[in-house]
Amino acid sequence: MLKALKKHRYPYLFISPYILLFLFFQLIPVIWTVQISFNEWDGLRTMKPAGLDNYGLMLQDYMFLDAIRNTLYYWVLSAAGVLLLAIAIASFLNSDNLRAKTFFRTTTFLPYVCASVAMGLIFSMLFEENSGLINEIIVKAGGNRVPWLTSSSTARIPVVILHVWRLTPWYTMIVLSGLLNIPEEYYEAAHIDGASGAQQFSNITLPLLGNILFFCFVTITVDSWKLFNESYVLSGPGSSNTSLFQLMYQTGFTTFKLGYASAIGVVLILILLSISIVQFAIRRRQGEL
Amino acid sequence: MRAKNIAWKAFIHLFMLIIVAFCLFPVIWMMIISFKTVGESISGFSALTVQQPTWANYERLVELIPLWQNLYNSLFTTIIGTITTLFFCALAGFAFAKYKFPGRTALFYFVIGTMMISTEIGAIPLFIIMRKINLINSLWSLILPRIATAVGIFYMRQYILGVPDEIIEAARIDGCKDFGIFTRIILPIIKPALASWASLTIIARWNDFFWPLLFLRKTSKYTLMVSVSMLPVSDGLSTPWQVVLAGTTLVVVPSILIYLALQTLQKSGIMAGAVKG
Amino acid sequence: MKRIVSILLALVLFASLGAALAESKPVHPEGTIRIYCTGQPQFLQMYYEKWLQDHPDVAPGVTIEMVQIESMAAGRQKISMDYLAGATSDLPDGIYLDAVGIIDLAAADLLVDVTEYYAGIEGEFIGGAAGDATIEGKVFGLPEAVRPQLLFYNAAVFEKYGVDPALMSTFDGYLEAGRLLKEKSNGEVYLSYVSPTNHTWRYWGRRGLMPQANARIWDENGKAIIGSDEGTKLALGFLDTLMSEDLLYKTTMMQPPLYEATDEGKIATFYIGAFWDEFIRANLVKTSGQWRVMNAPMFESVSQNGAPVANYLCLVNNGENKYAELIKTMWYDFQTDVVSRNAWVTNMEEIKGAYSNPIALNVLADSFWQAPSEFYGGQSFRQAEGEGLNNASPNMPVTEKDAEADSIISAEIEKYVAGEQTMEQAIQNMDKELNIRIK
Repeated sequence: MLKALKKHRYPYLFISPYILLFLFFQLIPVIWTVQISFNEWDGLRTMKPAGLDNYGLMLQDYMFLDAIRNTLYYWVLSAAGVLLLAIAIASFLNSDNLRAKTFFRTTTFLPYVCASVAMGLIFSMLFEENSGLINEIIVKAGGNRVPWLTSSSTARIPVVILHVWRLTPWYTMIVLSGLLNIPEEYYEAAHIDGASGAQQFSNITLPLLGNILFFCFVTITVDSWKLFNESYVLSGPGSSNTSLFQLMYQTGFTTFKLGYASAIGVVLILILLSISIVQFAIRRRQGEL
Repeated sequence: MRAKNIAWKAFIHLFMLIIVAFCLFPVIWMMIISFKTVGESISGFSALTVQQPTWANYERLVELIPLWQNLYNSLFTTIIGTITTLFFCALAGFAFAKYKFPGRTALFYFVIGTMMISTEIGAIPLFIIMRKINLINSLWSLILPRIATAVGIFYMRQYILGVPDEIIEAARIDGCKDFGIFTRIILPIIKPALASWASLTIIARWNDFFWPLLFLRKTSKYTLMVSVSMLPVSDGLSTPWQVVLAGTTLVVVPSILIYLALQTLQKSGIMAGAVKG
Repeated sequence: MKRIVSILLALVLFASLGAALAESKPVHPEGTIRIYCTGQPQFLQMYYEKWLQDHPDVAPGVTIEMVQIESMAAGRQKISMDYLAGATSDLPDGIYLDAVGIIDLAAADLLVDVTEYYAGIEGEFIGGAAGDATIEGKVFGLPEAVRPQLLFYNAAVFEKYGVDPALMSTFDGYLEAGRLLKEKSNGEVYLSYVSPTNHTWRYWGRRGLMPQANARIWDENGKAIIGSDEGTKLALGFLDTLMSEDLLYKTTMMQPPLYEATDEGKIATFYIGAFWDEFIRANLVKTSGQWRVMNAPMFESVSQNGAPVANYLCLVNNGENKYAELIKTMWYDFQTDVVSRNAWVTNMEEIKGAYSNPIALNVLADSFWQAPSEFYGGQSFRQAEGEGLNNASPNMPVTEKDAEADSIISAEIEKYVAGEQTMEQAIQNMDKELNIRIK
C-alpha cells in the first residue's frame, strides 16, 4: 500500500488539492448539515434533539410540497427547452448554409455572460403585469394582459424563461463542440447513399452526440434543482413558484428554523443523488458507459 | 432543389436573427433605461426611447456605493480565482489523463460524482469552518474553496487526453521531472483549453453572488455584484430603477467586454476542442 | 481685591481645565465602530463622521462604518452566524432593529441592556419611544425613530373630481371617497394600490389595519387565534371590501409602474407609514406639490389613529463592547442636538437622502420641524408626521414567532390578492397553518 503510494506519489499529489478541498468545504459541511437536520435549532439557543420531526413536518407542509412540484416543473421544462434550443442553434451554427458565423456565435453566447441576479431584475420589469413590455406587446397584438407574476398558475413561466435564456448558450457551445468533432466523412458517405438532411441528423448526428447530450442532461439536472436566483428575484404569490433551494434558504435565513432548513437540504441532496444514479444506471445498461 | 435550398438558408438566417434579438434585447433595454432621467416613463414601449440622455444615474451610483473599492474586490477575486483554478484543475486533469495508478477510475468517477453535491446546502457549517480558519471578511474565502473544481478537472482531463503520449515520454527521457513536464510541456500545449476555461471562470467569479453575500460582512469588502444587488432589495430603499439599472449595467457590461476580448484572442472560439464524446 | 480676583481667575481656570480633562477622560480605543443598518446607511454615516470630526478630542483615531444589510432578518442572520462560529469579536458594535429582532437577540443575550442609561433621559423623548424595545421592564435599544401610519393623498385628484379629502377621517369615509373617485373618473382613478407581494400584509395588514382594529394573531398563551379574532375580521374584511369593489390598483409595491401610475394621477391615496415620504419624493416628479398628508383614517368602533413603527439602535453584546459609551454619546447628540440634526436634515433634503422625524422633544419644538414642504404644496410634512403620533393605536404584540408567522400569513394574503381564495378562506388557512407549524 505504502509502496504503491510512493511509486505513484505524483498523480496522488496532483489530485490531492481537490480531495482536500472537497473534504473541508463540501463533505464535512454536508455531514454536519445532516446532523443539524435531526435537531430543532434557531442558531442562537442550544440545539434540541428533534428526532425525525423535521422530516415529518415536510409531509404536512404545503410549502414544501409546492416547492418540490415547482422544482420538478423547472427541471423538466428547462431540460427540454435548453436541450432542444441548444441542438437547433448549434446545428445551425455548424451549418454550411450560415453566413457570418462568428457574429452569430458571439452574440448567441452573451446571455450566459450576464449575471442572473441582474437579469432577474430586468425580467421582473419586462414581465410586469400593467406596464411591462411583454404585456404591452400582447395587447398590441390583440391579446389580454397576462398576470405573469401575480397569479399562481403563470408565475413559474417567467422563471423558466429566464433560466432557459441564461443556460442555453452554454449548452449550445458544448453541443457545438460535439458537432465539430463528428468527422466530415460520415456525412459524405451518407450523402452518397442518398440520405436526406433529416435522416443524416437522426442517424448520424444524434447518436454520435449521445455522450455529450447525456453530460448536458446531467448538468442541467443539477442546475435546475439548485435554481435559486431566478425564482428569488421573480417571486410570485405565496409559494407558487418557490424553488426547493429557495425554500431552504428562506427557512434557514429568514425564519431561522435551521433544523428544518437542513432537513430540506438533505432531501435535496438525496433527490440529486438518486436522479444521477438512475441516469448512470440507464446509461450503463445501454452499454454507453 | 435550388429554390428549396434558398428557402432553407433564409429560414436558418431568420431563425438565428430572432435568437440573437432575444439574446441582446434585455441587455440593450437595460442600458437604454440607465441613461434616462428619473421620472421619465420606463413602462412598455416608452422604455425604448430616451428623451434626455444623462449620466446622472451613474453619478448617483457613485454616491450610493463605494464603487471603486467594490470594483477592486471583484477584480481581485476574479483574477486570482481564475489563475489558481486553472493551475490546480489542469494539474489534477493531467494526473487523471496521463498517469496510471491504483484507483484511477474509481477516483475519477468520485470526482464526477461530487458535482452532484451542491456546496450551498452546507452553507451554515461552511460559514463556521471559514470563521475557524479566519477567512470571514477575506476575499480569499471566495477563492480558496474553488481553486479546484470537479467540472474544471473533468474538462482539463478531456483535453489533456488528446495530448500524444510520445511528447511526454520524450520529455521524460530528456530528464524532465513530473512537475516539470506539467509546467513546461503540458501547460503550453493546452493553452487553448486554458483560455476557454479562463473565460468561463472569469464570468462565473465575476457573477458570483451567493458566497460573497454570506462571507463578506463589510461594505468595503463587498464585491460589485453584492453592492449592486442591494440597491433594489434592501428594506427601506427608494433607489429609482434608472439608478438600479445603471448599477446592473456596470456589472453586466464588463463581463460582456471581457468575453468579447477573450473571444477575439482565441480565434477558435470559446469551447474549441472542449468536451470530447 | 486683586488677590481675590486672581484666586477666582485661578479657580475658573482650574475648573475649566478640570472640565476639559473630565471631557476627554473616556478615552476610546482607536479603531472602527461597526453598525449594521438597513436602507441607505451611508446617510447616517455622514452625520456620524462629521460628529467625530467635530469632536476630535473625544475619540481620536476612531472611525465609524455603517454596514448596509438587506433586511433586519439579514442582520439577525449575520449576527447569529458570528455567534455560532464563536466569533464574538466579529460581532458589530451596534445594529438597527425593530421589535421582532430585539426580542430574538435579547433572548439570546446578544444585546446590551440600556435600561439604566435610558431611564435618566427618558423624559427628553416623546412618550413610549422605547416601548417596542422594552422586554419585561428592561430596555434593549435606544429609540432611533418612531414613525406613524399616515394617509398620503393627491389633492389635485380630489379637487378635480370634487371629492372632499376630509371625508377620509374614518374608514367608512375612506371607502366612500374611493367609490366617488371611481365613479366620477369613469374608473380611471383608483383609491389606492394593492401589491401581489408580501408588502400587502406588511403595510395594509401588520402595520396598518390590524393594529387599528385591535386585531390579534395570538392569545395570551401564545396560541394562534387569528381565525376567530373579531379585530382580524374587521381589518382584513375592510381590505376585502376595497378589493371586491375594485378600488385598488394591482401592481408591485415600490416598482416603477406604481410610481408611473401614481404620477399619472391614477392612484389617489396611500395608507402607509411615514417612511413613504422619502419614496415618493425620490420617485414622483409630475405630481410633486400636489401631495398632502393627514392622519390615517379610523375605524369608528375603535377610534384610534395608525400605529407607529419604531426602530432602535441596539448595542451588541460583543464581549466588552468597547464603544458602547461612545455610541450612546453620539446617538444622544444625533437625537437631541438641534443645530447638528437640522443641518444634517437640510443636507439630506438637498441630496435626496433619507431622514426621519426626531423623537426628542426639544428638537421637535424647533420651528425647523414645522417648516413647509414644497413637495406637499406648502403643507409641513414634518409637522403632520408629528401629529400622526397622537392617539396612536398600540402595536400588535410581538413574539419570537412573528418572523415565521409573517411569512405564513403573507403567503395566504398573496393567494387572496391573486384571486385564488376568498378572504375567509385565507384567514382560516392562516389559522390552520400557524397551528401546524408553530408550537
